Amino acid sequence: MSLDEVAELRRRLAEAEETLRAIRDGDVDALVVEQQNVSQVFDIGGGAEAYHVFMEAMHVGAAAIDGTGRILYANARLTAVLGFTQNSVQGSSFTDIAPDEVASAVERIMPRAALGVASEEVSFDRLGEQVHYILTATPLRLSTTHGFAITFTDVSERVRAEAAEQSERAAHAVIASANEAVVVCDREGLITHANAAAELSFGGDLLGLPFADAIPLIFPDATGLLQAEDIVRMVVDGASVQGVEAHAPKAPKVKDYLVSAAPLQVGHDVINGCVITMVDLSQRKAAEKQQLLMMRELDHRVKNTLALVLSIASRTLHHEDTLEGFQQAFTGRIQALAATHSLLAENSWTNLTIADVVRSELAPYTAGAAGRFTIQDLGKSLAPRAAIALGLVIHELATNATKYGALSVPGGKLSVRGHAEGERFIVEWRESGGPPVTPPKHRGFGQTVITRSLQYTPSGGAEVDFAPEGLVCRISLPLEDLHE
Amino acid sequence: MNDTPPPRKLTLYVAGQTPKSIAAIANLKAMVAGPLAGQYEIEVIDLRQNPKLAKEHSIVAIPTLVRELPVPIRKVIGDLSDVEKVLVALKVQGE
Repeated sequence: MSLDEVAELRRRLAEAEETLRAIRDGDVDALVVEQQNVSQVFDIGGGAEAYHVFMEAMHVGAAAIDGTGRILYANARLTAVLGFTQNSVQGSSFTDIAPDEVASAVERIMPRAALGVASEEVSFDRLGEQVHYILTATPLRLSTTHGFAITFTDVSERVRAEAAEQSERAAHAVIASANEAVVVCDREGLITHANAAAELSFGGDLLGLPFADAIPLIFPDATGLLQAEDIVRMVVDGASVQGVEAHAPKAPKVKDYLVSAAPLQVGHDVINGCVITMVDLSQRKAAEKQQLLMMRELDHRVKNTLALVLSIASRTLHHEDTLEGFQQAFTGRIQALAATHSLLAENSWTNLTIADVVRSELAPYTAGAAGRFTIQDLGKSLAPRAAIALGLVIHELATNATKYGALSVPGGKLSVRGHAEGERFIVEWRESGGPPVTPPKHRGFGQTVITRSLQYTPSGGAEVDFAPEGLVCRISLPLEDLHE
Repeated sequence: MNDTPPPRKLTLYVAGQTPKSIAAIANLKAMVAGPLAGQYEIEVIDLRQNPKLAKEHSIVAIPTLVRELPVPIRKVIGDLSDVEKVLVALKVQGE
């Protein structure tokens, strides 16, 4: 036997041994058997055809992959699911042919599937549409190969339904939480949703009613051209209505609204109805009225005040002999007026009490003289004109008391008390402990102010009694200007 | 003037779409595109279609890769997933 023949025999022996090893180790899954000089291929553990047929009969997308993730077979349904052609996928991995999200999911699921069945939800974009699948992997042995059976179950509809339900719930919550009245109408103008604010404003269950009937609005600025039903029609045709003032004469409570409406679009480009929002304008209207009223009142008061100042100036000029005397008296009176004005302004011209006015006018004289003054029963509120007049009266009385009366000496005392007297309310100013009082030789302007300031109505006025032991002034406040 | 030798032929015997056949085809294609680039051209013979062709290289187990030239003939049995083993068997590194 030649050396070459020996080498050839060795090679063939090694080949035979390698073949046996490969069969024993499961490295092969088919064998060629020769019988009567005819070669035939036999699959170890059954052929691929059987499981291919089985997979094609499945109603879900399915693939068999080996342990490295290589696709051994993918059924036609999976091909449609992932959008690849079946011929090209055998031998490929998901990374090469499937959307990234699917490839990552397969990669993640394989280690878990080696221990048992594993599932994962995966979403990806297929031809511009987001689709959702449950991916399930099960360990599988095909002939001598270990791998996995992977199925893709379409749950897009379920996910979409859940998302729609969630957004419907969110939309409901948004509408329900709005403070404004919100109603949603379908294309025919029938109310499909109405929040609590809307039902409260328009009385009861609005669902199913035509918008124009349930909420009859009048649009004063539109001179009758715009009707409630027109709003729904305009919006369904694609227009928007923003901030139109409307009047709802039949609403149980609120009458004035600011109405806005916008098309309701669910999905793409289709207008399913309209959303109408109605903001309660009654507070704003009331505020506007109040403001207008206040402006008129202010105008009136400024004119009155100017007239009063002119009158005080001319009367003071008439009664004072010297320029210094005029300056002092005039300044004092204007300051008295200003003090009452300040008080009124601080209290927004309301809720000023008699005591407030008295304290404010006496403030310049009472510093450091506590105990000499008594104020009692002056808790009633009084109207602005009465407050201004009373302020001037108190100022004159205080000036007089400081010059000649109880406040001109250390031991002098002053009490201001209020009490009802029949139909009238009297504020009594009583001085004591001052120098003996004598009636003035001539009537000064101060006295005129005291007696006349409150005489703008029959129940108002004041009278001064120059009693020797102390001056007493009884001020009668107009009843119509007094409140509890 | 052409220094590059003409590509040699590698013949892969498979049996239809058995898992090992699919794996062997994919692995061989990857090798020819990678470490064996330019050196080999491949022929895949499906013995299920044509069992008689098994005789030419005395194929018993499937899949089997055969390198006919240069002599001696070399065979690698299995799905070719062990790249090192394939390269050693083909003695690519030594030649």
